[in-house]
Amino acid sequence: MDNFKINYIDEMLDDVEKKDFLKYRTGELPTWCPGCGYFGITQSIVQSCNELNLKNEDICVASGIGCAGRFPVFMDVYGFHTLHGRSVPVASGMKLAREELTVFAIAGDGDIMGIGGGHLPHIARKNIDITLFLFDNSIYGLTKGQSSSTTPFEQTTNSHPFGNPDQPLKPVSLALSYGATFVARAFAGNVDQMTAIFKKGITHKGFSFIHILTPCVTFDKVNYTWKNLKANVEEIYDEFDHTNHTEAMRIAEKSRLYTGIFYHRYDVPSYQDYLKQK
Amino acid sequence: MSNTDIVLEICGSAGEGTISSGEIFNRYISSIDFEIMSFDTYPSEIRGFGKCVAHSRFSTQKIFTPGKYTDILIALNDAHSISQLGHLKDTGVVIYDSKPPKYHEEDKSIVGWMEPGMISYGIPFNDLAQKAAGNSRGRNMVALGAVCALFGVDHEEFKNTIIQRYAKKKQIVIDNNVNSFVEGYNWANDNLTKIDSISFKKGKNKNEKESIIINGNQAVAKAAIDSELHLYAGYPITPATKIMEILSHELPKKNGIMLQTEDEISAIGNVLGAGFAGKRSMTATSGPGFALMTEFMGLSVMAQIPAVIVNSQRGGPSTGLPTKTEQSDFNAAVNGGTGDLPRFVIAPASVEECYDGTTLAFYLAEKYQTLVVILLDFFLSNSIRNIDEPTPPTEKMLNSNIAPNEKELKDYVRFKETKTGVSPRSIPGTPNGMYTTTGLENNERGKPQYDGKLHTKMSDMRYRKLNSALNDVPKPKWTGPKKDIDVGILSWGSSAGAAYEAATIANKNGHRVAVLSSLVVFPVNEVDLTKFCNESKQILIPELNYSGQYANFIASYINRPVERLNMVSGLPMASEDVLSKIDEMIAS
Repeated sequence: MDNFKINYIDEMLDDVEKKDFLKYRTGELPTWCPGCGYFGITQSIVQSCNELNLKNEDICVASGIGCAGRFPVFMDVYGFHTLHGRSVPVASGMKLAREELTVFAIAGDGDIMGIGGGHLPHIARKNIDITLFLFDNSIYGLTKGQSSSTTPFEQTTNSHPFGNPDQPLKPVSLALSYGATFVARAFAGNVDQMTAIFKKGITHKGFSFIHILTPCVTFDKVNYTWKNLKANVEEIYDEFDHTNHTEAMRIAEKSRLYTGIFYHRYDVPSYQDYLKQK
Repeated sequence: MSNTDIVLEICGSAGEGTISSGEIFNRYISSIDFEIMSFDTYPSEIRGFGKCVAHSRFSTQKIFTPGKYTDILIALNDAHSISQLGHLKDTGVVIYDSKPPKYHEEDKSIVGWMEPGMISYGIPFNDLAQKAAGNSRGRNMVALGAVCALFGVDHEEFKNTIIQRYAKKKQIVIDNNVNSFVEGYNWANDNLTKIDSISFKKGKNKNEKESIIINGNQAVAKAAIDSELHLYAGYPITPATKIMEILSHELPKKNGIMLQTEDEISAIGNVLGAGFAGKRSMTATSGPGFALMTEFMGLSVMAQIPAVIVNSQRGGPSTGLPTKTEQSDFNAAVNGGTGDLPRFVIAPASVEECYDGTTLAFYLAEKYQTLVVILLDFFLSNSIRNIDEPTPPTEKMLNSNIAPNEKELKDYVRFKETKTGVSPRSIPGTPNGMYTTTGLENNERGKPQYDGKLHTKMSDMRYRKLNSALNDVPKPKWTGPKKDIDVGILSWGSSAGAAYEAATIANKNGHRVAVLSSLVVFPVNEVDLTKFCNESKQILIPELNYSGQYANFIASYINRPVERLNMVSGLPMASEDVLSKIDEMIAS
């Protein structure tokens, strides 16, 4: 390795120590492919926990199955690697049992846009105070490259060698229609913005839906690559009124991939707050 | 004092007050110290004139079944009641409306369908109710008034029961009901000549303990509350829905939560989430919902997280017969799911056991960090009994999680191998107790790993829990002779009642019949089973399913043939059914 690279790695390591986020990590090395966007997402989640001063023992993570599902295995928190598509109900049970805990649901696009899609409308309308991180790489990665519910139309995949015949779902539009009280999109290549969004989502009292765009560097060399994503994402402009549902819906439908907070509603009580009023 | 054992049925259309009059009758009969076994049948239609039957058996003796043949039939609606004559005793009594309302079918008077020898009393329910209250809604109360007059029941006390039943209603409702009742009582006294010999003034001697009238679903809900249930998550499904409805009232009082989920998968998912977070949680369902929960059942066992599922069985398979009773989910409860999946299966045989089985389920689930299935059935869920106030769970049963101690938390190993198979489980919020559990095979620290040696070791640990628990659960109940048994009945679930009664009668007839029934049907207590079978010349397994699921299951434990009695009529098993099988076996 040349000196420049070594210096760069040293600098990064210093940065890691300074930010003190290794405390949320186990010694387990992630099983993700080199270059995967999930590293960045993990870093952002860890950084958010650190900046919010969350204690390890007060964090509960439920994950589904797939590359994203492995997330809690690498984290030194209370983790539950559940079933395909079912991180949301398990996370909901955790929160309903112990309101004082900070609860994350981790899901891939296969999890929550596919097999567990039926849980999303209901967690949204119940407004249970958990944060759902949707790691969307628009492909089935762990089973090696089949189409998912967010794979673009006509993309060739291992399950659709002649092109994907299905139209992709739009996670942000769906979450908005379902009445989620916090809806955001982040990009795995923009750690600073991602962390800012995550912190808002985690502290939001109610259900937070965070759609995270990330490439699958192994199974999608065409559409959602680092290069294409970087060219297509754009941060939502500062003056954007994120209490305006119609506006949120309008920009969610654009082909340009906006990142930032689409919608943030404060006036709906969380599920447990509602019960307390009764 | 001679024994009294009477079956009374009230039959009418939905909306005629059939079920509520049955309820009032039960309350009164219980208050004068009879044992009750009661059962309501509803139409499957939501509205309209579907048939309702309130069936009550009451006795001075201990009873276990609702009784097959009726002594007294109150026909609020003749057209519906005609088919009830099929199981009316030869000298049974019919009380019917001698001037029924116009909307009843004219050509279907029940009198024309009665066999010679049966006794009928015609009372103008409709006219008397009109006279008392200005409308015909009190027809059912007129009938109850007539019952009091005919069978020597203290009508003042009965009137008080009616007042209590409607205590929360408006005064006019109470007045209308009471006036109709009195009208019926007076009319019957003045106009009827008693020609039957039935009377029931007083039950057995006064019981010291407080008694409550409760059905299986209510007993489960009460036990869950007493076991400090925090989260109930469920999806409506007959016949389990009532558990959800009761808990939606009761849980908020205890700061608990009733969560109505989008489906049964979400329900059991929430149960596991709450279990992981260290709170007691449960769901209740029936066949179709239970099938959906199968994948999570596996996760509960593999990830070692407590979960309690109540499955109130309906007739199956598939959507099946939602309002009929059957015991056909035994296989699904014991073997349902993929892979080697040890779990506990509890099958209460009575309303009392519904309570005890539920408190036991929470204890076992938490202590052994695994899945517990409670098998009820439509009959048990809805059968009403007056039982002694049940014994609430002990402190030990309420706090059964084995948590890691400080030393263990210094370097916490979540799935550490132990003799019992149970590794100390830390609860979120415990510093240094962090761990990740998974549905993947994993090593002692919860890290996914697939090597054969590890899988063998971990499978062994999961199964070891069952053996450890055998000392922790009540032993099978052995009733009847202990030696030289002609017919040994291996019974499970609600059909055990019929077995007890049949055995009692057979033993009175000079035979030697014993019953072995276990609250915990899986894992099997092989010691008691073998001993029982060794003492029995013949073995009989009666159950409400077609293929003999329990018989097939038991066959793998005992190396000998068993006689089977299988019924799928949708009705609970009757002692007569078991008795004729016993006679047949002894004769052969």
